[in-house]
Amino acid sequence: MIEALDVGKRFGKVTALDSVSLEVPRGSVLGLLGHNGAGKTTLVNILATMITPSSGTARVAGYDVVSDGSKVRQRIGLTGQFASVDEDLTGMANLVLIARLLGAGRQQARERADELLAAFDLSDAATRPVQGYSGGMRRRLDLAASLVGQPEVVFLDEPTTGLDPVSRNAMWAVVQRLVGDGTTILLTTQYLEEADRLADSIVVLSHGRVVAAGTSAAMKAGLGRRTVTARLRTNLEALDARTVLERGGLAPALDESRDSLIVPVQGFQDLSTIVRLLGEARIEPAEVALTEATLDDVYLALAADEHKVSV
Amino acid sequence: MVDTVQPVRTGPAPSATAWHGSGVGTQIVILAGRAVRPVFLRPSRLVVSLIQPFVMLGLFSQVFRSMADTPLFPPDVSYINYLVPAILFTTATTVSAQAGVGMTSDMRNGVLARFRSMPVRTFSVLTARSIADLARGALELTVMIIMALLIFGFDPPGGLLGTAVAMLLALAVGWSLGWLFLALATWLRGSENVQACGILITMLLQFASSAFVPVASMPTYLRAVATVNPLSYGIDAARGLILGRPVGTSVVGTLAICLVLSAVCSVLAARGLDRTGR
Repeated sequence: MIEALDVGKRFGKVTALDSVSLEVPRGSVLGLLGHNGAGKTTLVNILATMITPSSGTARVAGYDVVSDGSKVRQRIGLTGQFASVDEDLTGMANLVLIARLLGAGRQQARERADELLAAFDLSDAATRPVQGYSGGMRRRLDLAASLVGQPEVVFLDEPTTGLDPVSRNAMWAVVQRLVGDGTTILLTTQYLEEADRLADSIVVLSHGRVVAAGTSAAMKAGLGRRTVTARLRTNLEALDARTVLERGGLAPALDESRDSLIVPVQGFQDLSTIVRLLGEARIEPAEVALTEATLDDVYLALAADEHKVSV
Repeated sequence: MVDTVQPVRTGPAPSATAWHGSGVGTQIVILAGRAVRPVFLRPSRLVVSLIQPFVMLGLFSQVFRSMADTPLFPPDVSYINYLVPAILFTTATTVSAQAGVGMTSDMRNGVLARFRSMPVRTFSVLTARSIADLARGALELTVMIIMALLIFGFDPPGGLLGTAVAMLLALAVGWSLGWLFLALATWLRGSENVQACGILITMLLQFASSAFVPVASMPTYLRAVATVNPLSYGIDAARGLILGRPVGTSVVGTLAICLVLSAVCSVLAARGLDRTGR
């Protein structure tokens, strides 16, 4: 449904995307994971025909994004990082406007708007101008707006960034239902947890390049659901500790700036193993913590893999 | 909270029932309606935009009244009759600058980005904005002429017909200048730039013209600007119409300038909007 082949984009001298390839089968969800500036939004904008790629080709819903842009635009919905709704209009008027522009009749447009407002829990606010909406309400309206035409492909660019936990959960529920209805989704996020929950497969983007790709299950298996962070007193100790843990069969990644080791683990058992191994080697860490894996850990784990290959 | 409500059609529509975009005409009507709406949604905006011509009329008819006593001023003409054609054009110019500001705010708040990800043409977006401001201009100018007639002693020798044609001419000039401001907005981005540029250009167009004083009374360098200023042509033509004097080719000339200006600027505006490149 979405295919990108060697897509590159330069802005002047800055390379925002460098030969990115990915594929999203019909009815599945791809999580595009990366930090700010990794190139996520640039890729989404190319696929949504907002900007043209400098190199490579991409097809969405069977049409080339450059030569068949208008066909693509008829089949996609885009929810950007910032809610793109008209502040002056009511929630209802915003959705009716979109429906009418897509070719719906007056009556059809109203019905569709009513339906979406109810589904997104905005019926009570339907006749109020968007100006008075909360951040979460705006995002929901924005998402509703991109679903008016029942698109085959939906792009969600950081749909939950800046939302409180309640709004975030509501957003997740909506996305999960979309998936159930057979919509193909490309979702960008900075949160591993989000990609893990919503996406069938994950592509990790860093400095405009794909650094890892796979199913979320494979990614998790490689990384572990949780990590243990062990902060050592000196850099030398950190290096020693890494050797010790590697001998013990673990895969620690070294974060040199913080003299810390980040160790993907399967559970509590591994935590005690780490403590035991370090104890036996008479290395006393300043701090040991068991945490949920974060995007940083993914990057560090990927860097650790490269380290292993080079050794 | 969201998943407790009744099922909704969210998945892809069967292609037979899918909406694949409306025609350009429908797009323009819908988008123009949207652009006009806020004026009526917020009464304060409407009131402010209607007070403006009133203040202009009052201010200029008092401040520049003594102009009528100077030797360069055409004899047998009351200053208010001389002034109204000018204010028609300066008001139309101010309204057209609003087109640029409106476009800038659409570009900033992401509404434009949404339209661009939809099957909506760039041309429709721009035309809708310019038509909306044309409608607003028509409203303001009509109110102004009524005020001038009722309160300020405006008594056009050219009659109401001449006045109406002059008003249409002012709207034509305002509309083509609207395209200029739209082009500026799409190239400059950033609302402060557009605002500042808009004020500068409107000031220059309004004052370095035959609007308030005869061009002959200006120093040479200003006279040069005033002679090439499209507003001068429009105002001269409108003045002829309102004062009931022969207008010669000035009406046709003004319309020709409008045509060229809007043709060039509409292309520039569309290019500016698509600049980040579809």
